[in-house]
Order: sequence, then structure tokens, then C-alpha cells
Amino acid sequence: MFLTPDEEKIFDGESGEAKKIAIRLLYSLGELGNAEKLIPIKSAHVSGVSYKNIGDGGLKFLKKISTPVSVPTTLNPLGFDLTGDGPVNIDEHFREKQLEIIRAYMDMGVMESFTCTPYYFYNEPSFGDHLSWAESSAITYVNSIIGARTNRESGPSALAAAIIGKTPDHGMHMENNRKAKLIIKTNRKLEYSELGALGLYIGYNGKGQIPLIKGQKGAKDFEIKALAAAMGAASSSPMFHVEGVTPEAHLVADDASVLDVEEDQIKETMNKYAGDETPELISIGCPHLSVEELNYIASLVHGKKKIGPDLFLFTNRKVKERAAGAVKVIEDFGGKVFVDTCMVVSPLSNRYQKSATNSGKASFYLPLKEYGNQKIAFKGILEMLKWVIA
Amino acid sequence: MGDSLIKGRGMAPGKTTSTAMVCNQYISPLGEMSKSGVISSGLCEGRSFSDKILIFKGGRGSTVGSYVILELKNKNLAPSGIINETAEQVVLTGAIISEIPMIDQIPIDIFVDGDTIEMDGKKGTVEIKNAVLKDIATVFLIFKGKLLVLKRSSKVSSYPDMYGGVSGYVEEGERPEETGARELREECDVSDARLLRKGELVYVRHENTLFRITPLLMEPKDDSIKLNWENSQYFWVSFDELSRFETVPKFKEAFKELTRP
Repeated sequence: MFLTPDEEKIFDGESGEAKKIAIRLLYSLGELGNAEKLIPIKSAHVSGVSYKNIGDGGLKFLKKISTPVSVPTTLNPLGFDLTGDGPVNIDEHFREKQLEIIRAYMDMGVMESFTCTPYYFYNEPSFGDHLSWAESSAITYVNSIIGARTNRESGPSALAAAIIGKTPDHGMHMENNRKAKLIIKTNRKLEYSELGALGLYIGYNGKGQIPLIKGQKGAKDFEIKALAAAMGAASSSPMFHVEGVTPEAHLVADDASVLDVEEDQIKETMNKYAGDETPELISIGCPHLSVEELNYIASLVHGKKKIGPDLFLFTNRKVKERAAGAVKVIEDFGGKVFVDTCMVVSPLSNRYQKSATNSGKASFYLPLKEYGNQKIAFKGILEMLKWVIA
Repeated sequence: MGDSLIKGRGMAPGKTTSTAMVCNQYISPLGEMSKSGVISSGLCEGRSFSDKILIFKGGRGSTVGSYVILELKNKNLAPSGIINETAEQVVLTGAIISEIPMIDQIPIDIFVDGDTIEMDGKKGTVEIKNAVLKDIATVFLIFKGKLLVLKRSSKVSSYPDMYGGVSGYVEEGERPEETGARELREECDVSDARLLRKGELVYVRHENTLFRITPLLMEPKDDSIKLNWENSQYFWVSFDELSRFETVPKFKEAFKELTRP
């Protein structure tokens, strides 16, 4: 790695301790990727917000690295909804620590976005932009669907890049590394949660390679988002291509291998998490919902009577504002629409033990012991709504 | 016997000596490394990694994982060192900010649970204290597109009756190429083979011995072979036929690597 004279000065601590920590972390990660230099970035997106995830160690680190960010920087969700109550009760200690974490980020000039889908209205990259983003689902989304370029940054490395305004030039920043090495053949059009299952399946069996998925022409962005989130959870691959859908699907390595994914494998993956017991909670919105998705869900529950388990939806503030009509329909039905948080990063098990979701990503995290602690049912939206519509 | 250090890539500085915990899996620190310092899914489910040298394939999952490692360190529940086959950013960032030594580019199948390991995350060196390192040279002899496969005698000390190449210990002061030529003479009575290629080192763990093997691709002038006591049979086999032989560990992989264009 080569540093410019100005970068050298930061490395030597002439611009303060925080910037020194930041550039040294970028330097080490550049060495990992055999980068030759740092390149400027258009924006950053930072994970590591929920106190449930980062704890006191994370808070200490944020204070140590505190200095203003130098590019537009958005922030992931936290452990509860700052605009109201919920989704579950939390103790005073958790609330105080969570607010302290938020203040630490605000002091650095990070935006109050609190979402894993900042690409809806907050931080909208364009094709070819170099970025430093954390949040596995968002990384996979912007690389794959938008064609912007980011490595799979960790929370601290994205923050370090936001501070310096640069990232090491390697990996996904170079076109040659964006080629598909694995061709996934599917034989029928899959719906949202099935695409999540496909994402988990590829995550477990794809050896971390970038796949090109064939047979899903016409898939909508929000459906592909489910695939991005699930694959991001179960693998370390930061990108995929979908034939006829994503902008760089022509990038395929000469020696790409082929993997057929059959009906049975999608079913098996879903069945692995498919409890049939009636859940206490149905949660939708991992990743955070778009306006289009909220409108769709509203159309399904419009004028119906609600029974059974609680229904929680998760999105970001700007989406909730723009989908106000749909939100009213859902709330009139008896569902709740939360912002700033989600079922994965809030301490859900404070109140619920059995939950259902249509998200492949949430199905990965929620059942884990000492983390989500949930008995999980992984199903499509229509099937889940049968539990709550009279 | 050479020095017993294995060289990987130093990723996060620091030195540590501790007990190995080997998990042949990818791990998402968020969710799969619990707050109490236990692996919560996969082959190592339920096992505590605190203060151990945690050896796994690599990281995956949430980008918050780095903070999970930091918080474990904060509570004195973190591993004392990390070894990966291939490092990625989330675990590495976690190791750097938590000041946990980390090394990658070492095959994890050379470690056994309970090994005592000394590692230096800056130099990228690892030493298995309870294993003896032995240097081996293995000749892959090819003639007219066929590979020489020897059936090891039932009297040899390691891997009796299995199939392999022409192998022997590298003696004091000897270069692996010299060992290969000597073993060819002793085991097969071949003295005129030329070296086509020297492969990357291959490590094989067998009980408390760690074999460090230098693969050598060599070609004789003709196909005449005269065996000594160390081997009981020989075959000249095509690439396809090789799959039918029960070979010594990593033999087929090493051959594939040696003959890669």
C-alpha cells in the first residue's frame, strides 16, 4: 500500500488520534486486499448501532475514534423506535446506552437515517460510484442492483473510510473482481421469500463466490432485495448478478462453474425454518420495507378484521412518510409500522418467543441462541397473513 | 527436520500461546459467537472459545461482527488468537480493533483440537508445540502423459498399503530436489529424471507429526522401474484412472496443483 505524503501525516498522528486509528485500520485492510492506494468515496453507510450488538466495547471505540466524517454518511437501525414506543419494552439501562451510542454518531455528523435501506431516499448511489458501505444486505443491494462499488466493509472500517473520505482500492472496486464465478440455474420464477431461501442456499453452497442467477427475469428490485439480504447473512460474497435484471450481468468469468437449484432445494431451505405452530408475532421488513412493499401489504389487509398474533412492519422514516396512506390502512387493520429499528436488532425476546417472518436474513439470525432466541416460522407473506386475517 | 514454524500471512499484530479450538466452518461473529463466548451454530455449537486460539475457515454475515469481537474482548471472553484459511474484512477489523493477533492463509486441517499453538500475528508465523515437523519431498513422476503411482509396503511406518508418489525425508543439509533425486534412485532405480516443476508446500498432519511436503514434478527418459522394499507395486496411470486409487492425504490435490497450466 502506498500512502500520499498527506496520508502519511495522518498515519503518523499529525491530524489527531481518531484519524490515526481510522487510516491505520484502512491501511491494514488495504494490505489484506493487496490494494496499492486509497481512492476517494462518494458516501459511507455505517453499521454497529444497536446496543444489543456493539455493547460497551463498541461505545468506547466510538468515543476513541470520534471526529467529523468527511463524506455523506448514513447509519443502520438501532434497538428501538426513537419516534414512539416499541417494538418491545426495554430497560432503562439499554435505553440510556443506546442513546449514548446515537449521540456519539451524531457528534461525528452522521445522518439520522437509522435504516438498512439507506438507498431509499437517504443515500442514493449511482452506477459506478465508489463507496464504503457496511450492512451486508445494503452492500449486496448497491453492488448488485445499482452497480455501485463497495467492498463488504465492517461497521468500524466504513466509519474509518467516512472519516478519511477514502477506501483501499481493491476487491469490488475493480471490474475484474466483479465477474460471476458461479452460474445458478433456476427453473421457475421465485417469489419474495423463496428468493430469500435461494439467497440462504447460495450462501451455504456457493463457496463465497459471486453468482449469476439465471431464470429470474422480470424479478422486481424489492424481491431481489430479499435475495441480497439472505445471501449477505449466510455468506461473505458481496455481490450477485441476475440475468436480465441487474446492470452488470454480462460480467462472467470464463471458468465459471454451474449449479442447478431445483424446487426441492428451495423447499428444503424454507422447511429448515418452517415451524407450523401459530406464532406470537409476525414481523415483516428485514431489510426495511419500500413504499411499494407497504402499498402491497396495505392492499392485502385493507378493510379486513385482524385476529391472532401481533403484526409488526419495519421501515425507515422517509419511506413511512411517503407511504402514509398505506401505513394508515395497516394501522387501521391493527398492524404496527415501526421505524429506526427491526426484528433483528431490537431485543425481541424481551416479549416474544415464537415469531414468523418472510425474511431469509431474519430466519438466519432470529433462531440463534443468546441472540434472537426465537422459534421461527419462515413463510411467504400471503401464508403468514392467514394467521391474522379473520 | 527443519524449524517447526509454519508461515501464513500476518494480519493483526501480537503474540500469543494457547490451546487450539478448530471449527471447520465459516462463522458470523454476530449471532454465531454468543455474548458468553460460545459458538452457537454449526460443528462447534456449544463450545467456548474464550482465551483459545480460534481456528476457522473465515468470517461471514453481518458487518457488525467486528464489534461483537470487540465487546467479547471488553468482557475478557474473546479468543486469544484467530487463524483463518481466508480472512475477510469483518473478522479482521474485529481482530485489529480488539488487539487480537490474527493470521490467515494457513490450511486449517493441520490443526487438531487441543494443540498448543504459539502464534505471531505480525510475522504470520504459527508453531504447533506438540507436533514435530518433518520435511518430505514427493516426486510425481510422469512419462508420456501417465503418472507413476506406488503402492506403499505394509512395512513402512506411515500410510502402509496406500498409494502415493516417490517420497522420503529431507535429510540434514539436503535440498528437497536432491531428496527427490535420491529417493527416485533408491525406491525405483531411476537416475536420469529431470525436474519439470517444483510445487507449493503442502502440509499434512498425522497424529503428532506435521509433514511439510515439497511436491516435485519429474520426467524420466523411459518407463523402466525397479522397486525396493519400501513399495510393493507400481502403476502408470492416466489422470482419470488416478481417482480409483486410495492415495495418501492430499496426493491428488497436490498433483492437480502441480499440473495446472
